[in-house]
Amino acid sequence: MHERLSFHIQRDSFLHRLNPLTKLVLTLTLILLAFTFPWYWTPHLLVLIAVIPLSLLGKVFREFMLTALRLIIPAAGFLFLMQAFFQPIGTDIIFQFYFLDMTSESVLFAFRNAMRIVVMVSAFTLFLLTTHPSELMSDLTRRGLPGQFAYVIISTLQILPQIMAKAQTIISAQRSRGLDTESSFLKRAGSLIPLIGPLVFGSLVEVEERAIAIEARGFTSKHVKTSLHEIPDPTFDKSLRWVLLILIIISIGLNLWLS
Amino acid sequence: MLDKIKSNFNTQTWVLIPIAIAINIAVGQIVLVLKLPVFLDSIGTVMVAVLCGPWAGALTGALSNVIWGIAIDPGAFPWWPVAAMIGYMAGRMAQWGFFKNWWKVVVTGFVVALTAAIVSTPIAVYLFGGITASGSSFITAYLLATGQGIWSAVVSTSFLTEPVDKITTAMIAFAIIQGLPKRTIGGYPKSNQVATEGGASSTQLYIAIGVVVALVLFAAFMLRNILGG
Repeated sequence: MHERLSFHIQRDSFLHRLNPLTKLVLTLTLILLAFTFPWYWTPHLLVLIAVIPLSLLGKVFREFMLTALRLIIPAAGFLFLMQAFFQPIGTDIIFQFYFLDMTSESVLFAFRNAMRIVVMVSAFTLFLLTTHPSELMSDLTRRGLPGQFAYVIISTLQILPQIMAKAQTIISAQRSRGLDTESSFLKRAGSLIPLIGPLVFGSLVEVEERAIAIEARGFTSKHVKTSLHEIPDPTFDKSLRWVLLILIIISIGLNLWLS
Repeated sequence: MLDKIKSNFNTQTWVLIPIAIAINIAVGQIVLVLKLPVFLDSIGTVMVAVLCGPWAGALTGALSNVIWGIAIDPGAFPWWPVAAMIGYMAGRMAQWGFFKNWWKVVVTGFVVALTAAIVSTPIAVYLFGGITASGSSFITAYLLATGQGIWSAVVSTSFLTEPVDKITTAMIAFAIIQGLPKRTIGGYPKSNQVATEGGASSTQLYIAIGVVVALVLFAAFMLRNILGG
C-alpha cells in the first residue's frame, strides 16, 4: 500500500529558504486574519493576494492546486452548500427546492465561511508543502521545545506507514481465512476485533525494547545536544515575524473594538 | 501540578505515544474498510490515558490530530482540543477507578462522549458556523430546518452521535489492555489503574448492558429537554 506521508516537496525557492518558525507564524497569521478581520471580503482577498502568490513564490503551485482539488475544494464546496441551504437566516429567498431555501444572506454567510475554511486548510497545506517536518522540529527544539515532542512527531511519521502496511496485511490475511468484511452490519462489526487485536498487540510488544534503546542514547538527558544541521535564521525572518505579529494584534484588536 | 504532569511521562510513555497515534489512524482506516458508522479514531489515545495518565492522554490526542493534519488531511488541525479533552477525561476517569470492569468502562465511554460533544460544539459553531463537512451535519441541518437554535442543534447532534462511538472505543481499549500480559503493562506510570475487579464476567456483562440502556434513556431525556427548551 502506498500512502503518501508527508506533503513536503524539496525545491529551491524563497519560501523553502525561510526559517520554519517564520513560515509557521505566517500560516497562523493568514488563518487568524481570515477569521478575525472584521471586513467581509478578507478571506476571499487573502486567497487571491496571499495564498496563491505564495504558492507561486514557493514553486509548488501545481502540487498546491492538486491538493486543493482533492481535499480543499470538495470539503469547502460541501460546507458551502450545506450552509447556504440550511442556515435559517435572511428573508430574501433567491432559490427554493422543496422545503430547502437559499436566501441571499445565507449564501453570503456560507460563502465567507467556506472561504475561511479554504484559507485555513490551504495555508496549512502550503506550510506543509514547503517545510520538512524534521527541519521544523530541529528548529523548534533549538528554540526550547522539549526533545520528546520532536521525537513523538518524527517517530510517528516514521511508524505510521509501517503500521498502515501491517493493518493492510492483517486485513488480507484474515480475509483469506474467510473473515467476513463485506456482508451484513453485525458480521462486519464482529470482524472488528480479529482485525484490531493483532494490529495493536503486535505494535505494543516492541514498546519496551524501543524504550531501552532510546534511553541508552541519552533520551531523557538534560544536557543541551549539539546539532549536525544548522538552520539559518536571518534578520529578515526575525523582522518578518514581528510584522506578522503586529498584523495579528491589529486584526484581533479591530475585531474586539467593533463587536 | 507540574510534578503531577511529569509523573505521567517516563521513557515508555514517550515511546508508546507515537505507536498509539499510529493505532488511532490505522484503526480509523480499518473502520472505513468495514464501513461501520463509527470513527473509533481514539482507541490509542484512551489506552495512553489509562496506562500513563490524563496529561499523557491529552498530549496523545492533540498530537494525533496534528499528525493527522500533517500526513492525511490538513482539515483535522482545528479539532485538536476535542481529541486532547478525550484523552484527558479518559485518564481522569481511570484515575477515579472507572476502568476496572465492563460497566465502569461503559460509564467512562459515556462521560468521554459528553465531554467531546461539549468541547466540539464551540469549534463547530465558531469555525464552521455549525455545519461542518462531516456526515453527521445532516442531522444538524435537519434540526436547524425544524427551527432549532444553532447551539442546541449542534449539541444535540453530538449527543446523538458521540456516545456510541466513544463507548465502543472505551470497551475496545479495555479489552486490549486486559489482553496484554502483565509484564508489558508493568512499565507504564499508571499500570495499577487497570487491575481488574473480581466477579463473574457474565454478571458483569449483564450489568454493562443495563448501564448502556440506562445511559441511552438518560441521553434521550436530556435531548428532549434541550430540544424542548
